Amino acid sequence: MNPQIATDEHLLLIRGTHWNQGLSPAELQRVMTDFYAWVDGLMQGGVHRGAQPLVEEGKLVTGARGASVTDGVFAESKEAIAGYFRLGVASLDEAVKLAQACPILAYGAQIEVRPVADLCRPMAEVKRHGA
Amino acid sequence: MSEPASETVRQAGEIAGDLFRRESARLVAMLVGQFGTHRLQLAEDVVQEALVRALQTWPYRGVPDNPAAWLTQAARNLALDHLRREQNWNQKQDGIAFEHERWAASPSPREENADTFTDDTLRLMFVCFHPQLSTEVQIALALRTLCGLSPAEIAAAFLTTEAAIAKRLVRARQRIRELALPFVVPTPDELPARLDGVLATLYLLFNEGYRASSGDRLVREELCHEAIRLALLLAAHPATRQPRVHALVALMLFNAARLGARTDDAGQLLRLHEQDRSSWNHAMIARGAHYLALASSGDAVSEYHLQAGIAGCHSTATNESSTDWPRILDLYDKLVRLNPSPIVALNRSVALARIRGPAAGLAALDAIPSRGTLNGYSLYHAVRGTFHAELGQKNEAIQHFRRAENLASLPSERDFLSRRIREC
Repeated sequence: MNPQIATDEHLLLIRGTHWNQGLSPAELQRVMTDFYAWVDGLMQGGVHRGAQPLVEEGKLVTGARGASVTDGVFAESKEAIAGYFRLGVASLDEAVKLAQACPILAYGAQIEVRPVADLCRPMAEVKRHGA
Repeated sequence: MSEPASETVRQAGEIAGDLFRRESARLVAMLVGQFGTHRLQLAEDVVQEALVRALQTWPYRGVPDNPAAWLTQAARNLALDHLRREQNWNQKQDGIAFEHERWAASPSPREENADTFTDDTLRLMFVCFHPQLSTEVQIALALRTLCGLSPAEIAAAFLTTEAAIAKRLVRARQRIRELALPFVVPTPDELPARLDGVLATLYLLFNEGYRASSGDRLVREELCHEAIRLALLLAAHPATRQPRVHALVALMLFNAARLGARTDDAGQLLRLHEQDRSSWNHAMIARGAHYLALASSGDAVSEYHLQAGIAGCHSTATNESSTDWPRILDLYDKLVRLNPSPIVALNRSVALARIRGPAAGLAALDAIPSRGTLNGYSLYHAVRGTFHAELGQKNEAIQHFRRAENLASLPSERDFLSRRIREC
């Protein structure tokens, strides 16, 4: 049994930041316009609850007490998270459907669809019984 | 976490369709003005990166109120970052340290305004169209830096490979560094000759797009519009606002107004008298006439004046029969005197035949002094074939249309000529 309870939200994690592959200014603008139209659709549908892009730089902290602080591979990486969209949809299927319509998939971006968890189930049950 | 309130997020549709291209050209010119022509590649890279940053940010955060200012600032920051990194790596190199200090000391070294933009662009034009660069290099460089086309897009227009164009561009930047070309508008004593060179290349660029002999049609029309846009910049700037510039603008506008009408729905080429004149862009023709009027302000008559006059006669005639052929012939006569090239003489023969008949046209063709150079030219045989056909000389007509067909490079041209053969 999954100890977590999903909320009515999903996060779309956009992966892939390698845009600088010789696309011309006109092509870049076309991609942006298409991408934006998709975002606009989320807003029109009332499911857009927030979004943030991430800068292609950062550090990777690992080891006990963060002994290792490295640069990480965030630039020009297929896996690095470029940003996220927070969607007010309860069903994973629906969130996947919205993700599938995202035009930047055609350019090699990947989208990870994750339900946002609320409290873990036992704690929710404790709360419920306590109430 | 901050949420983009939906009312502050603008529609992408509010961004002008060519914003990125326009801005990339403007920013490259601005950065070359600050870095010097030897850092052209850096300027291009930084601008490209700024556009990528916009793509990585705007869809999430919304389009900024002033997209151009956003891109300018992003490009400026990226340039500064780059110089800082370079300085760290080359501590001992005084030149670079100096460059960085100069930038760091004045993050906005110059006030940006419309004038700075046109000044920078004009200077960049004189760099791109420098006579020490070959014409093909000039064109590739101008399309890349002044028009914001990618090597792939340029390659599509010239039916060559992206790698070939990229190589040409590398060579161009190298040559600019070697020659240490200055980022200036030429001095008044050099200006006339330099301006002639720029106009000649712009006209060539326009014709590359207009000829439709090869390559992707939409990209080629783009070449025409870019040539016009750059010529308009010259026509608007006090340093280069001259009658022959206005004449070239007029010529290009008259011809561009007919771009869409030159083929039918099936992509078949249409001759002038077969074209639907109502589909010509009459607003563009009117603009052409305006520039032709401006062009007549001086005493000097350039080739562009005459060519524009001829194009104007065609563009303003309501049909083939009301076309002012005597005036066109008169302009061709003047043009032949100014530029005695066999191709001009070939075109003149067509105008002559409209007035005095196909036999006179043939005689005019035979009288062209260096006619031999036309033998490998498809249009020459097509014109000859037409004269023979009009005289009822079927065999000669077919023979010449066949030769024209063999020499034609575009399928639509070959289709057109095989239609002519069938009509004989």
